[in-house]
Amino acid sequence: MPVIEIENLKKTYTETMVPVHALNGINLTFQRGEFTAIVGPSGCGKTTLLNMMGGLDKPTEGIVVIEGTDITKLPAGKLVDFRLKNIGFVFQSYNLIPVLTVEENVEFIMELQHRNKKETHDRVVYLMDKMGLPDKLDVKPKYLSGGQQQRVAVARALASKPKFILADEPTANLDSVSTSTLLDLMANLNEQENITFIFSTHDQRVVDKAKRVITLEDGKVISDSLNS
Amino acid sequence: MLFRISWRNIWRNKSRTFVIITAIALGLWGGIFSTAFMNGMTEQQIYSSIHTETGHIQINAKGFLLNYDMLQYIPNADSMAVSIERDPAVAAVSPRIQMMAMASTASSSTGVMINAVEIDKQKKVSDLHKSVIKGTYFEDDRSNPIVIGQQLADKLHANIHSRIVMTLQTLENEITYAAFTVVGIYRTHNSDFDRQQVFVRRKDLQSLISFPEHAASLITVLLNKTDDSKEVTARLKKQYPSLEVQDWQQLSPMTQVMSGTIKQFSLIFVGIILIALAFGIINTMLMAVLDRTREIGMLLSIGMSPSKVFRMIMLETILLSLTGAAAGVMVSVFTIMYFNHAGIDLSMLGEGANALGYSTMVYPSLGFEFYLQLAALVIFIAMIAGIFPAVRALKMNPSEAIRGE
Repeated sequence: MPVIEIENLKKTYTETMVPVHALNGINLTFQRGEFTAIVGPSGCGKTTLLNMMGGLDKPTEGIVVIEGTDITKLPAGKLVDFRLKNIGFVFQSYNLIPVLTVEENVEFIMELQHRNKKETHDRVVYLMDKMGLPDKLDVKPKYLSGGQQQRVAVARALASKPKFILADEPTANLDSVSTSTLLDLMANLNEQENITFIFSTHDQRVVDKAKRVITLEDGKVISDSLNS
Repeated sequence: MLFRISWRNIWRNKSRTFVIITAIALGLWGGIFSTAFMNGMTEQQIYSSIHTETGHIQINAKGFLLNYDMLQYIPNADSMAVSIERDPAVAAVSPRIQMMAMASTASSSTGVMINAVEIDKQKKVSDLHKSVIKGTYFEDDRSNPIVIGQQLADKLHANIHSRIVMTLQTLENEITYAAFTVVGIYRTHNSDFDRQQVFVRRKDLQSLISFPEHAASLITVLLNKTDDSKEVTARLKKQYPSLEVQDWQQLSPMTQVMSGTIKQFSLIFVGIILIALAFGIINTMLMAVLDRTREIGMLLSIGMSPSKVFRMIMLETILLSLTGAAAGVMVSVFTIMYFNHAGIDLSMLGEGANALGYSTMVYPSLGFEFYLQLAALVIFIAMIAGIFPAVRALKMNPSEAIRGE
């Protein structure tokens, strides 16, 4: 079964005088273990598509089915719960809660899921080790570099054991070394643990690393190909 | 975790937090201290009234207080006093004769109220002897000693050892005159009392007006605890149904009215301060929420439910308010403790305060229960104040919030 199935997805914003058709009938499926980049010019609908896939916004038309569950039909309360258990997020910025330490940030998502303390602590230690930051548990985000913060964000996204991770321009604010480190990490996780990553990006380095590249323009898929 | 986040969030913008905490602390200190000040004034007035003028309970023949008719007396006052003193709630009892008279000196004359007392018993029910500023309280061995108030002394141009001639009416309805020697001059916080009330020995007046032995115009009762007044009054009323038995609140209704008015005014004053502070809290929390639009969008995105976000904001508001309230209460406690010991001198008010029965030296005081009520009120106001910013956070669309819209 595909992880994500999108059928005839449309999103129109009507707040302005002239309606904006952000998505114009998107049809896509994503399988487990994909490492996919969604690219396109600014305003093509990349972020809107990711928001729909993550249940952060409701489409005007169409459906998004995640492993058999049509999330567009879920009521608000159930949607929050579904997101918590099934979807991980990495944003361009403002990923971490500034008043919590690295350990507390990663624990946070598991506390929302009401996991027990031992399981939570063990998973935090495991993930931070994977991210190459085992000695940063007691540090607050402001004392980490941008790249380190994004790695902690990935750890937090993985902590909830999601079905897939949506990353919206995760490398936009990073230097080349941090970008490279982050991408290698995510690629390793994808290879070794079959974790599904879906990126929206302008970054060619992300595109180069991706196994599949979907190109959007004016809210439509204009190409969908495997990266050789 | 929610408590931890909320507490730490308060301190993210330290200067903003300190401003609002200081505002809350100062506002509450103002309200609490003024309440303690007014409470202290009222308590002193009540204490003064009880321990100088009325005692806790007064017993007299029915109708006596209407026109101070000497014939309305309690014939067996002394034996009644002994019986009443056996009540475990009673501290002391003192019968006395009370009558109106004319006091004259070479310079002036005026109407006065004579209180003929048993010195030792009177000292137990009244603190008047502590208010003597010149001379003594009947320690002088002269014949017909009299203790008068400073205000009366000024009016009559009298001093220690001055002679005052009293024009009295006997029980046989005849007019008689007697010369009294001033042995003591007192000053209380009540200028009217000082102007009117004079004190002589019971045996001196009894012989002058042929007043029956063991009888008295009224009996003053002092209790161990003021709170027992109503209960003991009811008991004495049952015991002596033919007599008029009143507690201090009935004898000094003005004191009761002033006390009640001041209490209500204090509550209104503190309430107004808290409402004003609530707007400051709303503004601060609204700024805090708007500053964190993207962060709140991120929290909603990763799976924090809107209700948890709501609770987080409410908790921040309550913690902020309680921190300010704690600071305000601490400052209040210390300042009240200090001034309760040192007093606040209002002598510039002088005559005005004394005319109303208030001392010019005020010792602020406040009961512990007021602080508990205040804490509950602060939490309530904080919860009301927190609703608007919390609802603002609740209504955020995660995708728009992350974009910073």
